Amino acid sequence: MSEHGLSARLSESWFGANLPPHALSQLAEIAQLRSYPADSTVIREGVPTTEFGIVLTGRISLRTLVPERGPVTVLTVEPGDVFGWSAVVEPHVATSTVMALEPVEALVFDGPALRRLLASDAALAATVYPRLLTAVARRLVATRTQLLDLYAGQEQVAW
Amino acid sequence: MVTAVAERRFLPRQELQALIDVLAEDGRRVIGPMVADGAVVYDEVHRPADLPIGVRDEQAPGSYRLVETGSERAFDVTVGMTSWKRYTFPPTVPLTRASQDGGGLSLEPAPEPAEPMAFLGVRACELAALRVQDRVLTGGPFVDADYRARRDAAIVVAAQCTRAGKTCFCTSMGTGPEVSEGADLVLTELDDGFVVTAGSTRGADLLDRLPTRRASETQSASADAAVAEARDAMGDQVATDGLHDRLLDALDSPRWQEVADRCLACANCTLVCPTCFCTSVSQRSDLDTATVVAERSWDSCFTAGFAKVAGGSFRNRRQDRYRQWLTHKFATWIDQFGSFGCVGCGRCIAWCPVGIDVREELEAIAPPAERHRKRPALATGTGPATYSVGTIHSVTPETADTVSLVIDGIDPVIATGTPGQFLMVEQPGFPAFPISISRYAPGHVVLTVRAAGPATAHLTQSEPGTQIGLRGPLGVGWPVERGLGKDVVIATGGIGLAPLRPLLDALVASRDRFGKVSLYYGARTPNDMLYTGELASWAELGIDIALTVDRAGPEWLGRVGVVTQLFDQADWHGQPVVAYLCGPERMMQVALRTLAERGIPTERTFVSLERHMQCGIGLCGHCQMGKVFICRDGPVFSVAQLGDALNVEGL
Repeated sequence: MSEHGLSARLSESWFGANLPPHALSQLAEIAQLRSYPADSTVIREGVPTTEFGIVLTGRISLRTLVPERGPVTVLTVEPGDVFGWSAVVEPHVATSTVMALEPVEALVFDGPALRRLLASDAALAATVYPRLLTAVARRLVATRTQLLDLYAGQEQVAW
Repeated sequence: MVTAVAERRFLPRQELQALIDVLAEDGRRVIGPMVADGAVVYDEVHRPADLPIGVRDEQAPGSYRLVETGSERAFDVTVGMTSWKRYTFPPTVPLTRASQDGGGLSLEPAPEPAEPMAFLGVRACELAALRVQDRVLTGGPFVDADYRARRDAAIVVAAQCTRAGKTCFCTSMGTGPEVSEGADLVLTELDDGFVVTAGSTRGADLLDRLPTRRASETQSASADAAVAEARDAMGDQVATDGLHDRLLDALDSPRWQEVADRCLACANCTLVCPTCFCTSVSQRSDLDTATVVAERSWDSCFTAGFAKVAGGSFRNRRQDRYRQWLTHKFATWIDQFGSFGCVGCGRCIAWCPVGIDVREELEAIAPPAERHRKRPALATGTGPATYSVGTIHSVTPETADTVSLVIDGIDPVIATGTPGQFLMVEQPGFPAFPISISRYAPGHVVLTVRAAGPATAHLTQSEPGTQIGLRGPLGVGWPVERGLGKDVVIATGGIGLAPLRPLLDALVASRDRFGKVSLYYGARTPNDMLYTGELASWAELGIDIALTVDRAGPEWLGRVGVVTQLFDQADWHGQPVVAYLCGPERMMQVALRTLAERGIPTERTFVSLERHMQCGIGLCGHCQMGKVFICRDGPVFSVAQLGDALNVEGL
C-alpha cells in the first residue's frame, strides 16, 4: 500500500486520529500493513518486542501463561487500539502473548526504527507519547476494574 | 351529586337490549364503545353484542392493547381512542356555502345538524370534557351553532368507572371517577347488571320505560365500592394546587427543550384530546368555483402552520409548541374559561407515539413545593404479610450457582407487572427476599435466582411442584416508553441481565418502534453468562449484542475486558439515545462516566439499584438511600433523579 494509503488508515484508527500531517507522514514512512491469519501468534510473551502495532480489522487477544491453568486471556484488543507498546518502552520485552483470534489486519511499526524516529524528532515525540500514555492508562484503568472481580458472588447473605 | 339524591334502580344484564331500544326510539342513533381495529372506538350500537364485552384495555405511555377477560361485562374498558367530540364536534363540518351565478354571490350558512343521538357509556372524565367544550364553544359571547345543535340533540348515558387504567388521572383533575353532572342516566356495572340513576327529567322518563327494579342495598353498596376502588387505584398523581402559577413561572424551564427532543410534533395528543377545540377553515370548490364550501376542520397547535403569519411562525420550535399546549391545558385555560383544559382521561399519554406523559412533565417542569404525590394503591400485597401462592413448574440451570424458575398458578395480578418490577419470595423457615421478575408469559413468570445465602440456595434447589409465597409485583420498573423512537443502549453485567430480560422482551415485541438497540453484557467468565441460548435469538430479532468477560481460557474467541471497552466501537451518540443499566454499582459508575462523555443526558439514563430490601413497600427502612426508598421509589431510577447519591461512599 502507498504511504498515502497507510497514513489514511492510520488516521482512521483511534490511536492515529487527528495526528498532524507531518506526524502522519513520518509514521507512515516506517509503517507496514500486515495480515495475520486466525490463531497465529503475533508477539510472544517474555521475548524482546520488535514491533508496535495498531489493529485495523479483526480481534487479537493478550494472553498470559499461568502454568497451573494454561494460557489465560486477560484482554482482547479491538480495531483502533494498539498492541506491542513494550517495543517503545524499556526494557522492550513483551508482557503478554498476542494472538490473532480471527483474521487480523494491522499497521505495524518496527520497534528500533520507531524509537530512533521518536528520539530524533522532539515534535513528533510530543504528539506520539501522550497518545501512547493514554492507551496504556486506559488499559490500566480497565484492568483495575477487571481486577475488582465485580461479578463474583459477594459476601454470603442472610437470604 | 346526582347519585346521592336520585332513586337507584337495577337493570338486569339481560335487559341491556331494552336500554338500547329505548334510546333508539324515535330514530336516535345510539353511539357506544365497540372494538374496531384492535382499539375501542365509539360507533353505532344496535345490540349488546356490539359493545366490548369481555374486553379490557391495557393503556400505558405510548401503548394501548386490548386483552380478553372472558367476563360478561360490557364496560370494563376505560376510555376509547377517540372521544365523543367526534360526534359533538366532528373532525370536519361544513360552515358556509358560497354560490355564484350570473353576477350575484350568495353565502348561506350550512344547515344545522339535527340528527338525534344517544351516547351510551360516557365516562365521568368524558362528561367533564363535554362541559369544558360547552364553556368554550357555547359559553359566549359567541356560540358555535353546529356544536350547540349536536349537543342539544344528544341523550347522554354515563357509565361510572369501576377500574382505572395506568394512564388515568381524573381524580387529580377533579372530574371522576364518580359522575357528578351532565348525564341523563348514570350506570354502574355489577356482575349481574347495572345500578341506574336518572340525572335529568329526560333521564327519569327513560328510566320509567325500562324494566328495572329498585336496587338492593347490597347492589348500591357494591356499586359505590367498585367506583371507590377505581378512585383508590389512581391515587392523586398530579399536584394541581397552585399548578397554574407554578407552570407560568416555569416558561424558561430547560425541560421544554428536553421534551422537544422526544416530541415528534405529530399532533396525536391534540386529536385524541376530548377538549382540544382548535380548528382551521379551508375552502372546497367545484372546478368552476360556482359553488364553494367553507369547511371547518380540527387543527393542532403542534402543526407547523398553526401559528404562522406572513413574517414566519411564532412557534417555530417544538419546545414552543409543547409549552403552548401544556400551559394552555393546565394554566391559561383557567384564565380563559374558569377550569383546567385537562380532564385526566390520559389519552394523550397512551396515544403519544413516544410515550410523553403529561403527569411526568408537569412534575418535572412545575414541581410542587412539597412533593405530596400520592402513589396509586398497589393492586395486591399491600401489607408486608399478604402473600399469594405460586408453584414451581420447572427449574433450569443457568450457571453453576444460578437457576431460572418457572412459577405458575400465580395470582393474575402478578402477570400485570412491568419490566424491572420484583416479587418478595417467602419460603417457610427462611427470610423473605426480593427477586426481580426475569420474564412475563401467559399464566406464569420466570425468576432467575443466584444462590447467595441459605434462602436463595434453598430456592435454587427446590423441586418442581414446590409451592412458594409471592408478594408483588412491587417497585417502579424500567420506563420502556422513554426508548420509543430512540436508540436504546443496555449495559449490564453478571446477574444484572435478569431484571433487563423483560425489557428486552418488550423491545423485541415492538421492535420497529425503537431505533438501534444495543446490548452490552459482561460476565466473569464465559460460563457465568445468563440466557446464552437466547442471546442468539435476540440478535436475530434485531438487537446488536456485544459480550465480554473478565477472564477466559484460550477456547473463548470473544472479547475479554470491561464492558465499557465495548462502547469504544459504538456509533451511537448523545441526544437520540436512552440507556438502561443494571449490574454491580461500580460497573454502572464506570459505564455512566462513558455514557456522560458521549453526551447522553442523565434524564435518559436509567439504573436499577440493589439495596437490602426486606418489606418491599417502603415500611421497614432497610433500603432507604438519601431521599428515596429503593424498593418503593425504585429500584429503577433515572440518574438525574438520584443526583450525586450514586457517588457518595457508604450511602
